Amino acid sequence: MTAQGIQIDRKWRAIALTPAAVIFVAMSLLPVLNLMAMSVHEIKWVASHSVWSYVGFTHYRRLAEDELLQAGIGNTAIFAVVGVTIQVVLGFFLAWAVSRIRSGRTLYRTIFILPILVPGILIGAVWKLMLNFDFGLVNGAIGLLGLHPVDWLGTRAWALPSVILVDIWHWTPFCFLLLLAGFESLPQDVQEAARIDGADTWTELRYVLIPMMMPVIVVTFLFRFVTSLKVFDEIYLLTGGGPGSATEVLSYTIYRTFFTQDRMGYGSAMSIAVLFGISLLIVGSLAASRRYGARA
Amino acid sequence: MSQGPNRREMLVGAGAAVSALAWTPGARAQAARRAPFTIVINNSPWFDGFRGAVEAYEKESGNKVNLDVNPFGGSLEKQRASVRARDGQFDLLIMNGLYYQEMYHGGFLTPINDIDPAFRLDPQMIRYDNTVYWNAAAKSHDPSGKLMSVPVNGNIPLLLYRADLYEEHKLKVPETWDQLLENAKKLHNPPRIYGIVQRGARGAPNDVSYDWWPYLYSHGGSLFRDEPKGDYTITINSPQAKEALDFYIRMAKEAGHPQTGGLAQAQIIQNLATGRAAHAMLVIAAWSQLDDPTKSAVVGKLNAARVPGSANGKPAPVLGHWLAGIPKNVPRPRQEAALAFLNWFQTRDAQLKYMAAGAPPVRQDVLSDAGLMREPKNRWMGAMAQSSEFVKLMWSVPEGAQIGDVLELRLNQAVIGELTTTRALNAIAEESHTIMERAGYRTGKIAAL
Repeated sequence: MTAQGIQIDRKWRAIALTPAAVIFVAMSLLPVLNLMAMSVHEIKWVASHSVWSYVGFTHYRRLAEDELLQAGIGNTAIFAVVGVTIQVVLGFFLAWAVSRIRSGRTLYRTIFILPILVPGILIGAVWKLMLNFDFGLVNGAIGLLGLHPVDWLGTRAWALPSVILVDIWHWTPFCFLLLLAGFESLPQDVQEAARIDGADTWTELRYVLIPMMMPVIVVTFLFRFVTSLKVFDEIYLLTGGGPGSATEVLSYTIYRTFFTQDRMGYGSAMSIAVLFGISLLIVGSLAASRRYGARA
Repeated sequence: MSQGPNRREMLVGAGAAVSALAWTPGARAQAARRAPFTIVINNSPWFDGFRGAVEAYEKESGNKVNLDVNPFGGSLEKQRASVRARDGQFDLLIMNGLYYQEMYHGGFLTPINDIDPAFRLDPQMIRYDNTVYWNAAAKSHDPSGKLMSVPVNGNIPLLLYRADLYEEHKLKVPETWDQLLENAKKLHNPPRIYGIVQRGARGAPNDVSYDWWPYLYSHGGSLFRDEPKGDYTITINSPQAKEALDFYIRMAKEAGHPQTGGLAQAQIIQNLATGRAAHAMLVIAAWSQLDDPTKSAVVGKLNAARVPGSANGKPAPVLGHWLAGIPKNVPRPRQEAALAFLNWFQTRDAQLKYMAAGAPPVRQDVLSDAGLMREPKNRWMGAMAQSSEFVKLMWSVPEGAQIGDVLELRLNQAVIGELTTTRALNAIAEESHTIMERAGYRTGKIAAL
């Protein structure tokens, strides 16, 4: 290509990218800039107009003292690490099992992905009924075994594990789908070679399949991890952050600050801090995954 | 020689008379064609009654009313977004007693007489601690201030109890908390039936604080030292408040549901409707469900009484009422349409229709109508009428939304045993003081418990 052709090509690329860039700025960057501006102001409403008073970094300093935010960070971390790890492990074994069967694969795939097709609001309602202390199906079932009923959503010990369980039920199929696609794209000759060399099922899994699947596992884990940090609907519907602060999570704390307490300045500071924290986490995870990929 | 009116004058006079009739409450809505308007409302237990009233209005007036129905929190979010925009989306806001304050303080509503100087709140309409009025200069519910809203629901907690079990055990309706505890203990036979079920959950926005507040007030406790006089000193950690919270928790332990800390309003209704609860304090809006054979196993078995008080204090049911206000930022024809609906809504006839559709009325003459009271399905009315003189507001400051969040967390932590009552109340006091101080109120603290 001539120098003039390269220049035209660059111009064309720039022009072609402009609409996407404008949409990105309008939809992502401007709201974040607005949040930043709000985070350094106290906002009140007087005579139906907003009055912004500059407060500098006061809101950010208060974040460190916020007991609920700290509980939210801790619970979100537990929720994401425990929940996503179990989802990926379960999804991996389900995908592995389905990839090995010769007939009925479509049927199993359809059955396994059903939970992700159910709307969140329905999941909340169904599980809230199932986990009800007095009338729930789960307590009814354990009652048949002679066990005492458990307040799954109303006690500190059980509330977070119960919400994690619902999340696992909801999102394991998503991991299953990604990992099944990974299994189906693996080269068959390597697996056949392992079998010819006398590898049993466990050896094949441990030394052939898991290493080959690792990039897909890492991507699945990271993707689910990032989305699980944003968990809101399950908490909102099942526990409302309670009992006490047992199921308080970051997005719910931000929601209550903004919409229940109507503290827009402080809520913005909280949002910016969380956004910054999660961005750091994502960049760190991606760097780690690249290093891992390079080593592998 | 005197002259009688000529033909033209008679025609003018007749026209004026017809116009005057058309402007009387009730008739005006039927006579005038209005612009379609939209009401934003929550889907609370009394909503079916409100929808019934709206349908009756549409039928009578021929006017179109749109209902935007939401969960409690969703309605508040939509109302805030609408009133803060340049052009409002909603023409009539159905505001809860816990958040209407921010609409008054923020200047988002049009005083009703600015829309129609001739409008008068019917003398029979209940004023609910004068919360329909607002004196912007004094920031108080001064009846000489402007009329800002019309009540649409008079939710206050009543003590619902199993009348059949009372008869069987020959119990007397309790007037004090101690008597209630004694009765609840006598009927407590878990898991078949709990003596009392309490709203101990951390709510969004309010469960445990709304349930506990009558205990607090009747024990002589309060959130602020003297709110009407502008003294916002935090007194929630007084010995009286501790006594009230200790008693609330004792009630749960000795005669309550084993998981009180997880019970919100929906679970209270569920326990009552399935016959698993002998007592509960509940807003009367839930009554229609509890007496509906398709939804309840205790039809005809429940009765209602005024909430008890402490041995030395008066009963203190708290307001959880709903007010209808018209925003400033909507066009005048829609404001007038919304007001025409309110004008119709406050008539006796409309209130009877409202009640027949399943919602408690907000007119005193309907609420205390002897004929209606005699009907078995309305056996709650006496208790409601008796409660009217004692009702109290939880707070009148917009910062109540923040304080409410603090209350829900700390009180719930006390109920589930995560905090002692002393620590919970001291924490509420400390955090509430910070909120009020930052907002610039004349506030202070009392000695920690």
